[in-house]
Amino acid sequence: MLPPHRTGSRFVVHFLSLIFGGSLRVSGSFDAVATDLAVAAHARPPIWRNSTILKWSIQVVVLFVVLGVIWFLADQARSNLSARGIPVGYGWLDDPANIQLGEGIQTVDSPERRLTMSRALWVGMVNTLRIAVVGIIFSTVIGVLVGVARLSQNWIARKVAAMYVESLRNIPVLVQIILWLAILGSLSSLTLDSGPIPGWLYVSQKGISLPRVFLADGFYQFMALMGFFGVGIWLLRRRLRRRQDLLGGNQRVGLRLSAVTVVALTVAWFVNPVMAFMGPIMRGIETAWGSVPEQAVQILVAVAAITGAGWWIRGFLLSHRSPAGMTKLIDDDYFKMVFAGLVAALMVLVITVIWPGMASWMINSGSDFWGLLGDKFGDGRGARPLDAMRPTLTEGRFVNFGPSGLTMTVFYASLFFGLVFYTSAFIAEIVRGGILAVPKGQSEAAAALGLSRAQTLRKVVLPQAFRVVMPPLGNQYLNITKNTSLGIAVGFSDIVQVGQTVYNKNAQTLAVFSIYMLFFLGCSLVISSIVNFINRKLAIVER
Amino acid sequence: MSDASVGVQRTVAPEVALPSPGRWIRDNLFSSITNSVQTVVFTVILLGLLRWALGLVFAEDTDWTAVATNMRLLFTYNYPTAQYGRIWVATGTVLAAVGASCGAWNINPGMTVRRLSVSGTGTGAFLLVIGVITPASTPSSIRTWIVIIGTALVLISLTALRIVDKPHRRSVSFASLLVTFGVAVVAFLWLFPFGNYGFTQGAVYAEPGLVAESTRVPWTVLMAIVVSAFFLGRETVRRLGEAGGLIRRSLTVFWVVGPLFLVFLVLRDPAFDMGYVLRVDIPIAAGFVLAGAVLISLLGQPARAELARIVGAVLAAGAVFNWMAGFMGWYPMLQKVRISFALLALLVLLLPTLAGERAARLRLMGLWAVAMVIFHWLITGMNTPSTLEIAAPPFLGGFVLTVTIAYYVMLASFPVGVLLALARTSKLPIFRVLATGYIEVIRGVPLITVLFFFSIMLPLFLPRGMGISDLAAVFAGYAVFSAAYMAENIRGGLQSVRHGQFEAADALGLTTVQRTGLIVLPQALRVSIPNLVGQAIATFKETSLIAIVGGFDLLRIANATIPNQPDFLGQKRPGLLFISLIYFVFAYSMSRASQNLETRLGSARA
Amino acid sequence: MSIADRALTSEMASRPDMIQCRGVKKWFGDFQALCGVDLTVKEREVMVVLGPSGSGKSTLIRCINRLEVHQEGQIVVDGVELTNDLRNIEKIRSEVGMVFQLFNLFPHLSVLDNVTLAPIWVRKQPKAQAEIRAMELLERVGIPEQAAKFPGQLSGGQQQRVAIARSLAMNPKIMLFDEPTSALDPEMISEVLDVMKALAADGMTMIVVTHEMGFAREVADRLVFMEAGDVVEVGTPETFFTNPTEERTKLFLSQIL
Repeated sequence: MLPPHRTGSRFVVHFLSLIFGGSLRVSGSFDAVATDLAVAAHARPPIWRNSTILKWSIQVVVLFVVLGVIWFLADQARSNLSARGIPVGYGWLDDPANIQLGEGIQTVDSPERRLTMSRALWVGMVNTLRIAVVGIIFSTVIGVLVGVARLSQNWIARKVAAMYVESLRNIPVLVQIILWLAILGSLSSLTLDSGPIPGWLYVSQKGISLPRVFLADGFYQFMALMGFFGVGIWLLRRRLRRRQDLLGGNQRVGLRLSAVTVVALTVAWFVNPVMAFMGPIMRGIETAWGSVPEQAVQILVAVAAITGAGWWIRGFLLSHRSPAGMTKLIDDDYFKMVFAGLVAALMVLVITVIWPGMASWMINSGSDFWGLLGDKFGDGRGARPLDAMRPTLTEGRFVNFGPSGLTMTVFYASLFFGLVFYTSAFIAEIVRGGILAVPKGQSEAAAALGLSRAQTLRKVVLPQAFRVVMPPLGNQYLNITKNTSLGIAVGFSDIVQVGQTVYNKNAQTLAVFSIYMLFFLGCSLVISSIVNFINRKLAIVER
Repeated sequence: MSDASVGVQRTVAPEVALPSPGRWIRDNLFSSITNSVQTVVFTVILLGLLRWALGLVFAEDTDWTAVATNMRLLFTYNYPTAQYGRIWVATGTVLAAVGASCGAWNINPGMTVRRLSVSGTGTGAFLLVIGVITPASTPSSIRTWIVIIGTALVLISLTALRIVDKPHRRSVSFASLLVTFGVAVVAFLWLFPFGNYGFTQGAVYAEPGLVAESTRVPWTVLMAIVVSAFFLGRETVRRLGEAGGLIRRSLTVFWVVGPLFLVFLVLRDPAFDMGYVLRVDIPIAAGFVLAGAVLISLLGQPARAELARIVGAVLAAGAVFNWMAGFMGWYPMLQKVRISFALLALLVLLLPTLAGERAARLRLMGLWAVAMVIFHWLITGMNTPSTLEIAAPPFLGGFVLTVTIAYYVMLASFPVGVLLALARTSKLPIFRVLATGYIEVIRGVPLITVLFFFSIMLPLFLPRGMGISDLAAVFAGYAVFSAAYMAENIRGGLQSVRHGQFEAADALGLTTVQRTGLIVLPQALRVSIPNLVGQAIATFKETSLIAIVGGFDLLRIANATIPNQPDFLGQKRPGLLFISLIYFVFAYSMSRASQNLETRLGSARA
Repeated sequence: MSIADRALTSEMASRPDMIQCRGVKKWFGDFQALCGVDLTVKEREVMVVLGPSGSGKSTLIRCINRLEVHQEGQIVVDGVELTNDLRNIEKIRSEVGMVFQLFNLFPHLSVLDNVTLAPIWVRKQPKAQAEIRAMELLERVGIPEQAAKFPGQLSGGQQQRVAIARSLAMNPKIMLFDEPTSALDPEMISEVLDVMKALAADGMTMIVVTHEMGFAREVADRLVFMEAGDVVEVGTPETFFTNPTEERTKLFLSQIL
């Protein structure tokens, strides 16, 4: 017997019967069943004993309590804020900042480049990312070296690495950062002929400075050109690989590819101005994007939400369809489908009523992005992609902005050293654990096949260790990004410190904290998706 | 020793002799060319780093009297000297509990003589190296002492190795290690009086007198207490057998509520207004004890489980309404009454699970009464003004603050973490979504922003007229933060519980609460212990962030208070190095203890 | 007479029903595990369920204990229908004992605590009384000396006997056995089967999913053969083993005997 086919009205009846008990019972499916049962068929239990009703009502109650608490707190905050005359919202982002930032891509207000609040926060974010990215690279390199040293055959290497790890990871990172500031602060003062190599490298109580390479005007054209060349090189690589497989021996694939790459780089370096034609194209896209009407975006998002929910419900129903027909849906399934519908409705509500500005925000930020790209491609004809510079000093301090060497202020340096050494100790432990996690049988099997020690490590042990190492390593990267916020203790202008300055000035705490949250959640999303991507890649390689 | 040995009695493996020094050096340091290169490179690195670190410690501009003088400030901040006895009582109680717990749970990480003497030789040799390479600015007396101690360690260790028979089997018990440690601490205090000023009254002035003089008698007593508590705990549990479980249980209860009593009733010393207590506080507590007892006797019978659920739901709704009324300001009521009412609702909700025959009901009433008494006593104590005469408001500071915050954060976030972990692994989708959202958002943002958020925003979220102290707000933020990590650690344990355990519990007819509390959590928590210890260490270290949001913890004192004293202007380095040492000692010993525990648990499971 | 009541002796047919299944259907996603099972188990009956793996035997008895929720049809145990009524679920869980293939003893509790757990917390018995009863049961399954040990310290056969004692401690009216000997080494199977035989002799109502043909022939009142979620054949041991009516039963028996 096939289960009954459900129509819309059945659905409603079932749902009502679920809530009100047995009086609205769905009949049909049990007709064929023998009637000699000892109890009345299928009486619905009263509400307070119905496990399904209880399960869902508890959840719904908790959900409403949580939402109620949040709503209540938000309401309190709003009334408290308005009592003090502080407007709620993000309108202040365009106000002039009137603050002096310690360091970053822009530190002061100037007529040609206004330092608004949003710009100041942006400078803080860039500072945070600057230290996070460099910190991740350095702590990984040091951590891997120390972790491998902990497994060395050499006794002193093992002991030194163990001392490094144990001493650094057991002292709070904040104490280490402040200690670095105290240590760097007691270095000698900065003069023109000070520093280990005067004119090239300075180490002083003002910070550390060395020559730097920076992106010049032609960089974007250069990169666009290299993109085209890259495709060509990739095709060539595929051909060469195939030849190698066909012919065997050594076809010098690596050598040939590097030669071609060097040639491509050289050509691109000199002829990059030809790419300037992309500027107008980007500007065109900017105009097109900006002219999309708001309503269109709203409709698009609403349609996407409803379609998404519809698809989900459809997929859900499909997964319950067996060759023998539709599975009987239990009460849980109805609740799930209703919930999906509610989520979609909420999204539609948000885009149309609660926050209608979202559509224009999406339009503006998208068009700004293309405009920025257009600017980058428009100027700089005939420019070099990269340029270099030596440290410049004025009156016993580094030049804070404008062309200069690569300068680590003492604040940056203390935060950087503290974070890098602390995190590298944890990374060393992760690397060590990962290598130890590879079963001994693996290296024994490799040795039995006649692989050398280096080959065993490279081809057998490390690929497997990498899989174990990757997730906790990603966690450490996340930690280093979050710990940059400790820069506030040494006066480094990271996002948290700039944000604090901002809300001390205009009391927009709630808005600033929401920016913190979005920024850090965005960072963790990016890092975890990179880690997941690598993990997936590794899993494919393994298969 | 091959085929011929069939049927031969099994014997213990022979002792592998320690290799001669020359042999050992050849095997471990110069076995191949790469090995030799590594030896040279790492020796240079080691000596360079050591020399640099010693240069920091013994630099001419590092004034260590800044630390010696401010010892009391670093540990207890401006707790009044006149009432210092309270500190000693609290410390003594905690140390006694530590000793008794070690004894009662038979924590006995003894070491073999061979291991002890090998590490002793190593430490001694290391000290000798330090004595040789330490920079010229080092005071000569210190250099002499380093060399003397290093030489003594090497000599004693090597002699022990020679004279003790079978040193790899002979074990030095934990008890004797403990006694040695205590004697060493006491001897140090009596032999090397340090510090030439005592620091009092919170204000920045110093008073003559030796810190060691006022602390050596208390510390001697405390060390005696630890050692005797250890033996007492061990012997009582061993003698009592079955009843020894009671000692362990009461120690567990002490670890949960004891520290609260020590901080809020001993250290804070509230001035109870006995008239008010008799008129208001005691009747309230008695009323709740009575109400609980009545409800237990009425609804605690197994047959009335369904009724208990319904009454419990009604009471819970009442409790929620009560809270809402509190926030809206509809009618006045003491906070503790609202909390007690919520606890009463929880009790009734749990009655179907906890109920039983008459004896069980009576036991439950007793437990309820004890819980209510403890709760009301503590709350009343917290709400009563303190008698302490403190110059600056926080009576907690320094190391005491660090330890207290770390302990309470772990304690407070534990139940929340358990609930979150259960919700995240639950089959109920809304719970899962809420818990996952909470955990991931909190884990995505840095601790410092959470602390700022709570210290600035919490007062804004509260209705007008309700306030919260800075330290309490920071503590709440830290607990909220820690709970998310706690949940993830416990979730790992929950996932290790096999599905069959759930099914067996269901098949026996256990309720969901019983299944969770009796079957799932005990197994899950055991698996999560190493991770939880790791979190405890992290929490302990991260209390240093309190310095940024306004608490006077170790870091703030070392970094801001001491360098502002006229005598030690700008002296940051000694304080920072000293607190690094404190953090290191505690974090390192905790992580070693956790490693021991892990091997113990691992071997117990195998 | 419906298929469920086939092969009953007149004496047994007169006994009251303990378990009734009527058109029980169960899906796991796309897969239909039970396709309308009709079955009646009488009081004091021992029913052995046979069938190839994946035929829905385990699912059926797990539905009877509501470890799995059936989606269509009715299951009535001792006059109580299994619905999402909490009261019914509690009643049935405490009246139906279940023994699992992998024992599922609680590793953090001693043997004695494993056995006394449910009487104390579900039946609300005083601890002393529960312990006396537990020791009786442990004696009955032949391992009173292991009471203080932990499950990890016992052999597989001993663990399964503790699991049986644990179920019996609730004084169940019905016992369900889900392949109780499949995870055991050969030398331990008989000690568990002996306990089960004694239980059957004492008049316990039992449903046993097993591959032990000897046990089935000796102890079962009726045998049920299931395939692909359907009851194919129900019969007494004699007719079932010597003269099965269905082709699929014959094929199955020829493969395993």
